[in-house]
Amino acid sequence: IEDETQVSRATQGEQDNYEMHVRAANIVRAGESLMKLVSDLKQFLILNDFPSVNEAINQRNQQLRSLQEECDKKLIALRDEISIDLYELEEEYYSSSYSLCDSNDLPLCEAYWRQDFATLSPESLSMPLAAATAEPSVAPSQSSTPSHPHVNGHGAGPAEHS
Amino acid sequence: MAGFGVANERLRALEELEREIGASLQSAGSVILELSKEKPAERHLERQAAQFGAAVAKVEAELSAQIRYLTQVATGQPHEGSSYAARKSCQLALNRLDYARRRLAELARACELMLE
Repeated sequence: IEDETQVSRATQGEQDNYEMHVRAANIVRAGESLMKLVSDLKQFLILNDFPSVNEAINQRNQQLRSLQEECDKKLIALRDEISIDLYELEEEYYSSSYSLCDSNDLPLCEAYWRQDFATLSPESLSMPLAAATAEPSVAPSQSSTPSHPHVNGHGAGPAEHS
Repeated sequence: MAGFGVANERLRALEELEREIGASLQSAGSVILELSKEKPAERHLERQAAQFGAAVAKVEAELSAQIRYLTQVATGQPHEGSSYAARKSCQLALNRLDYARRRLAELARACELMLE
């Protein structure tokens, strides 16, 4: 204070103190308002930035599609390998004496499912056995013509093992 | 990852803005602290004040750029895109794989039982 007669030092000091408090509070409030604005901008960007959202969706679709194609490719390769093995097994089975010694003369898949049902549930034997006894002449004809495409059993036999 | 990259870049820029706002508040606080002293150091005061000014200018420029970009791309409508179809197809493919794996496990178990 240059002129002592106007305001006392204490009053001037109090005034300066109060002014600094107010200005500091204003600065802090402005900073907080800016932070809120930045937060709203972030939210708006995530929700409404269409170019990046479109790009993100396209990339996600591409990733999922490639994963699905890879799964299907592996399944198809597995199927091809199993069909080759099944062909060899059927060839071996029908050229051996096992397919001929059974009076019912079951196809390979039926023989497998019969064994499977026998171990699982006795009451479910009636259906496949009835179906198997209804088709006794299928197996010999199958042994001469190994049906490579019939990878799930023989086409002339019962359709599904339900 | 271009889409994610661009979106992440903008979000990172906004996070940098938040840090810059914090730095400007810090500078303002040190200026006021220096002024409250009996004999404030002028050089320190001026340096802090310059830092505050630079931080505020940077915040203003970056905020204006972000708001300008958003006014250009925003439509006000909600985005209705979805990756549900691809996700469902992928899920079904994984279910097919899982089913095949289970059936092969059953077959292997049956063969082991027969061998025993």
